[in-house]
Amino acid sequence: MTTLLGWLAGVALVAGLVMGFGVAPREVSQGNVQRIMYVHVPAVWVAYLAFAVGLAASIAYLAGRRPGADRLAHATCEVGTVFLGINIATGAIWGKPTWGTWWTWDARLTSVAVVFVMFLAYLLLRGAIEDRERGARYAAVLGIVAALNIPLVHFSVYWWRTLHQPPSLLKPGASTMPPVILTALLVNFAALALLGAYFVARRTRVLAAEDEALA
Amino acid sequence: MPDNWGFVTAAYAVAAVILGGYWRMLIRKERTVTALRASSGPGTGARAEAEGGVRDDHTSRSRQPSRPGHPRPEPAPRPPLQ
Repeated sequence: MTTLLGWLAGVALVAGLVMGFGVAPREVSQGNVQRIMYVHVPAVWVAYLAFAVGLAASIAYLAGRRPGADRLAHATCEVGTVFLGINIATGAIWGKPTWGTWWTWDARLTSVAVVFVMFLAYLLLRGAIEDRERGARYAAVLGIVAALNIPLVHFSVYWWRTLHQPPSLLKPGASTMPPVILTALLVNFAALALLGAYFVARRTRVLAAEDEALA
Repeated sequence: MPDNWGFVTAAYAVAAVILGGYWRMLIRKERTVTALRASSGPGTGARAEAEGGVRDDHTSRSRQPSRPGHPRPEPAPRPPLQ
């Protein structure tokens, strides 16, 4: 099953590259640098998705103390942090030619940086506490607190004046995006989501094997 | 506006490096866990030591049949009497 997921992710990634570079047209105002959007935006959607699953798994762990829920929370939060890192890095690279700066402390960038640091702290916390049960409990609480910041990241562009543009898709009302660009974006999202699911499946399996070996 | 292909290439390269790095880390962790599980069989290795037991390699080794071409290894030193 995991292997199949990996192959599907590989094929979808190729399809995403073809859509992003071969099918989607050159954007009128930004030029070809806009093609960074096909990795920047899907990466943050996958991170949101992973953190949402991590939130649910953390709550389930605190409620039932099932090790499987803790392993799922650990894996999803780790994979979500990887994808959020990609989002931040590609955003900085996109920001330089369009805004004239790699980084600015506006509300969207600052809030996403805070969430990223919180999930890094989550991963450090897991490694720092030797008692696995206690570490899992503390990590679950931190994971819930960190994930609850995601709506703040999303709505920061509405609540404060920011250099970052408001969302083009995850907003009320119809999308203003041309269909071909929207299709390319969604294909890339599907590809990164499959890759994220593949990583989560493998990471969960490794964590289960670690628990078994150390039991 | 200029196309800035260098920035596009850099963005996709950074994403590929991060994803590839994470994939490699997963593979490394899988190998480590496989090695850990292999060394922690019942009654021997890490598990026995973790449970406070004494490794009795000399007894288990002495029961293994010798294979042609591979001389039986010397027994390990006897553990001190408790």
